[in-house]
Amino acid sequence: MVEERKGLVFDIQGYSVHDGPGCRSLVFLSGCPLSCDWCANPEGQELKQRVLYRVSKCKYHERNCRRCISACPYEAIAESGDAEQPVNIDRNICRDCKTYDCTKACIYEALNLSGKWMTVDELMAVIERDRKFWGDGGGVTFTGGEPLLQKDFLLEALKRCKASFIHTSIETSGFASTETFMEVINLLDFAFVDLKHMDPDKHMEHTGVRNELILSNIKTLAASDWPGLLVIRIPVIEGFNDSDENIRATAEFLKECDLEIVNILPFHRLGDSKYKQLGMKYKYSESEGTPEDVLLHIQEIFLKYDIACFIGSNTPF
Amino acid sequence: MPKKIADILKEKGIPINFQYGGTAPEELVDREVKKEPDPRPKKLLNLYFDTLSSATVEFPYWYTRKWKELEGDIPVIRRATAMKYAFSHLTPTIFPGEKLVMGKARYYRGSFPMPWESEGYFLAKEDELYQAALKKGSASADEVSKFGSGGGNVTKSFGSVVSIAGKFGIREEEVPALIRLSREWVGKSVDDLRSKYEQMMPDYDFKEKIMRSVICMFESGFTLPLGREVINYYYPLQYGFDGLIEMAKERKAEVAGNAGGDGVIGMDRLYFYEAVILVLEGIQTWILNYAKEARRLAAEETDPTQKAEYEEIAECLEWIAHKQPRTFREALQLIYTIHIAVLNEDAISGMSPGRVGQILWPWFEQDMEAGRTTEEEVIELLELHRVKMTCIDCFASAGVVGGVLSGNTFNNLCLGGLTRDGRPATNRLEFLILEAGIRCACPQPTLSVLYDEKLPEDFLLKAVECVKTGTGYPAWMNNRNAIEFLLWQYGREGMTLEEARAFSIGGCLETSPGAWHELTLNGKTYEIPGGAGQPTSVGVHFLANPKILECVLFNGRDHRTGEQVYPAHNRKLETYEELWEVYKQYYEMTVDVLCRANNIQHDIWRKNNMSIFHSLLKPDCLTKGHHIGNLGIRYNGTFNVESCGTVNLINSLAALKKLVYDEKKYTLDQIREAILANFGFKTAEEVGNYSLVTQEKKEGGEVWDDIHTDCLLAPKHGNADPYVDAILKEYEDWFCDMCTKYESLYAKPLYACQISVSTHGPQGAVTLATPDGRLAGTTYADASMSPYPGTDRNGPYAIFTSATCWDQTKSQNSQLNIKVHPSAIKGMEGARKLLEMTRAYMRAGGFHIQYNVVDSKVLRDAQEHPENYRELMVRVAGFTQYWVELGKHIQDEVIARTEYEAV
Repeated sequence: MVEERKGLVFDIQGYSVHDGPGCRSLVFLSGCPLSCDWCANPEGQELKQRVLYRVSKCKYHERNCRRCISACPYEAIAESGDAEQPVNIDRNICRDCKTYDCTKACIYEALNLSGKWMTVDELMAVIERDRKFWGDGGGVTFTGGEPLLQKDFLLEALKRCKASFIHTSIETSGFASTETFMEVINLLDFAFVDLKHMDPDKHMEHTGVRNELILSNIKTLAASDWPGLLVIRIPVIEGFNDSDENIRATAEFLKECDLEIVNILPFHRLGDSKYKQLGMKYKYSESEGTPEDVLLHIQEIFLKYDIACFIGSNTPF
Repeated sequence: MPKKIADILKEKGIPINFQYGGTAPEELVDREVKKEPDPRPKKLLNLYFDTLSSATVEFPYWYTRKWKELEGDIPVIRRATAMKYAFSHLTPTIFPGEKLVMGKARYYRGSFPMPWESEGYFLAKEDELYQAALKKGSASADEVSKFGSGGGNVTKSFGSVVSIAGKFGIREEEVPALIRLSREWVGKSVDDLRSKYEQMMPDYDFKEKIMRSVICMFESGFTLPLGREVINYYYPLQYGFDGLIEMAKERKAEVAGNAGGDGVIGMDRLYFYEAVILVLEGIQTWILNYAKEARRLAAEETDPTQKAEYEEIAECLEWIAHKQPRTFREALQLIYTIHIAVLNEDAISGMSPGRVGQILWPWFEQDMEAGRTTEEEVIELLELHRVKMTCIDCFASAGVVGGVLSGNTFNNLCLGGLTRDGRPATNRLEFLILEAGIRCACPQPTLSVLYDEKLPEDFLLKAVECVKTGTGYPAWMNNRNAIEFLLWQYGREGMTLEEARAFSIGGCLETSPGAWHELTLNGKTYEIPGGAGQPTSVGVHFLANPKILECVLFNGRDHRTGEQVYPAHNRKLETYEELWEVYKQYYEMTVDVLCRANNIQHDIWRKNNMSIFHSLLKPDCLTKGHHIGNLGIRYNGTFNVESCGTVNLINSLAALKKLVYDEKKYTLDQIREAILANFGFKTAEEVGNYSLVTQEKKEGGEVWDDIHTDCLLAPKHGNADPYVDAILKEYEDWFCDMCTKYESLYAKPLYACQISVSTHGPQGAVTLATPDGRLAGTTYADASMSPYPGTDRNGPYAIFTSATCWDQTKSQNSQLNIKVHPSAIKGMEGARKLLEMTRAYMRAGGFHIQYNVVDSKVLRDAQEHPENYRELMVRVAGFTQYWVELGKHIQDEVIARTEYEAV
């Protein structure tokens, strides 16, 4: 018997109103080839389930609980001696775990497993359940992580959506082979493609990959006969991509591609707590949200190029 | 080529230079952008904020005096004469700046007790009240500031003010009078008589045990015998009071001495018409006394503007005391006057004005056409109407006013719906009503949209704009659901589809029957809707669903009181089906006995304390010559069964089914032990907080951790989990049908009503821990479809799926409150998406949805610093109330309720 294909989904969010037209369901697929410093979804970076540790729920002190420590067969969990973070998880050992006994042992929901392996059928059941609540113009948006990383699962899900007349959208870094990128795009009605920086080296420095492939994918898509709507998204990161120079370069690139819509996203650090839960350091844990005047300034530059620049969730789509 | 921006923007009607928070209509940004009331209503609203709930014995004094004099006369005449006398003697007060005038009593927030309904409470308190009255003390600043932070509630006596019923202040010199008046009603009040006759039921003891256990929370017959219904303003609006008196005189002459083919009550018509004349004359005098007061003030006033305003008030009142109103202002004054007259006739909560925008349309249209008024002037009047309606206090005992109602008076004003011939009924005036609701944010009248697919988009978006201001209103009601329900319940009384379309919401969300009337103004004919049914606040009210399950688990015994409430079933409950069977048996016994008791209460009420003014307003009392008690009103099958705590019941059943019966992980005895041990936690009272999240563990409580965790992790409502949804559906199918097996005193079947109002606090307080992991004493999930706080993990679409797994048209209502963070509905697109969400739930068959647009951080701060949040309003179980006036139970629960933030 052939095992059914499964995808690792780390969240499904209903009534999502900021990631595509109308009210949508957002499907978060795990795994990403980039490693952006400011990433808000660290639990979705690897194509692997991760153990999240919420200290606020831990009853190590209050109830003298040691369940996880005794449950771990690899001795990866130990008392830390630190009252603030009573147990230590050795993530190097933890990496190869397949059983996640600790999360089963924790009855207080302090240790949780991120993500769930789902078949396309299971995913479609949720989407079909939600669709009657989207209303006019809603649909599904695949995001992540980088949804293109689980290409086969994504393609199958998208084909099923199209067969069911569901509006499809993606939020992608655009970092995939042009062939994959275009194959997926052709099953979509709407696409957000991130353009984090115009300079390949700077891009490399903060995202872990160069941007040539992304730029060429955007070009290819813009020149194609794909009938959908493409929106370029820029997460505005202070000191990285918010310089006038970079914004102008971006605007010029968009003009070159004959693209006229951009959506700039103010930085937020809502992912901070998830870094803590994963035992990771977040470079941006002290950073403030992007000030409004910076956003307005960027918008002004784009408008000078006749590019419609929408800020955050204040969009017509 | 991908689509061009220009096409996209054109499609959306948005210019390319779309600015962040700039060119979007300002009112569609988030709640920080708040509009202010216009200066006049603002001043009067501020006066409201500074005013305490005040009671007086003026009305009961004159009423009781006349009633005594007429000993031996026919009750309806005695009552009408007493009422006439009382209305005629009320002291009129007019406050500077008012355009709409009159009030229930002479205070700005005045009301009064009605010892003829129930006097025992005041006598039981006699000692306490006297002591408080005698204990002279000057008002310390400390005490006064306490009241300030608690809103207008007078919860403690101070200075020469005595607190009664936990909410109202009364002058100490009136206390002896109140007690004296109360003594007059000993053995004669509805309460005393019903008690006498209820005891003739063989299972009276059982009923009393149910009341003591708080399995049932409210008895309508002698506390609030009317309400959660829709008033009808038509007859005075069409004929004026003079016209109605004329008609009654003519009819009186026709029926005097004639049975008219009805040998039982045909002769009663004479007395009813006579009573109508008496009451109307009393109300005319009452209005004219205010006119006189306005004249007196005008004569004394030196400021020419204020003097002219007093004169305008006098002219308006002198006209509407007799005739059909001529202008929008007169019509608004008249409906408001009618409203408080009805509220003075009896203790009522939830007398809804109905579809005011459609009722007042004729005057608005003609005034605008003639250039007699402007939209701004109309908005100001509507704002003043809001302030007046907010000042209404309902006097009843502490348990009823605080526990059941949270002080809310539920004057629900409805918008939208359909006309008799099925067209959208919205009009321009309804836009202005929404605008007044946005500018002058205060709890009354609360607004509801009768949502129909046919309603125009601009109107719906205007309603969303109002939601976004964070006032909590309008609520959204499903017009089609309501029509189906009405035809199902009232078809047997002859309701047609066209007439079903005249319905409106009575109280917070009770679908109430209505009727259409032809109104003629200056030769032009209009069709206006109005209430045509009896109250729906009557019947078997607020059954604590989880508490009944507790009794099933403990063989009929209430552990809190130690009483054997139900006959022991002595069953082992070996299967889930057996457990469910016993539950249904206990439940049906409960409904049966309470229904009979309630019938006796209302029968006493209709014989001795029937409504006359309220009756004559509704079709077809004036035509038939019969008051409510003689079935004069068109629709009489309004009595219902109200449940509370449904979601905790469903979650508990799911936990038992899974852990005890399917997986057999625990025995029922283990669950019982865990419940009695409160899963190792302290009681909510010890902790001082009634929300699950803040409960504290007892020393050594860890032994219950595993079982508690399993109970908490068992499937929960609101997650689109078929396991739980099937249990909910089975419950609803049974409950909605079961109610119809019982008959009201008017020989009509009861039906299901599923709103908790505020009873999920007190009823939760008397309930032990439940198998779903809820701890003893903590609040139940509010509403009937809202998930228990923190247990919905899959977002609103999953909640919608669970909530619509059963046929909601078989119930008078259901209730779903969702707290929305402002960021999720920001901007114009946010508004559209909120509308999409609403529409989606309605299309799926949901009856009601309501949004609380607020940040929980704000609420926590409001709990700590109530003084800074006097104006903060929140939704609680289907209505809007000021945060500071809510009980702590409810505050805790609102904070804990899931917050949807789409970032």
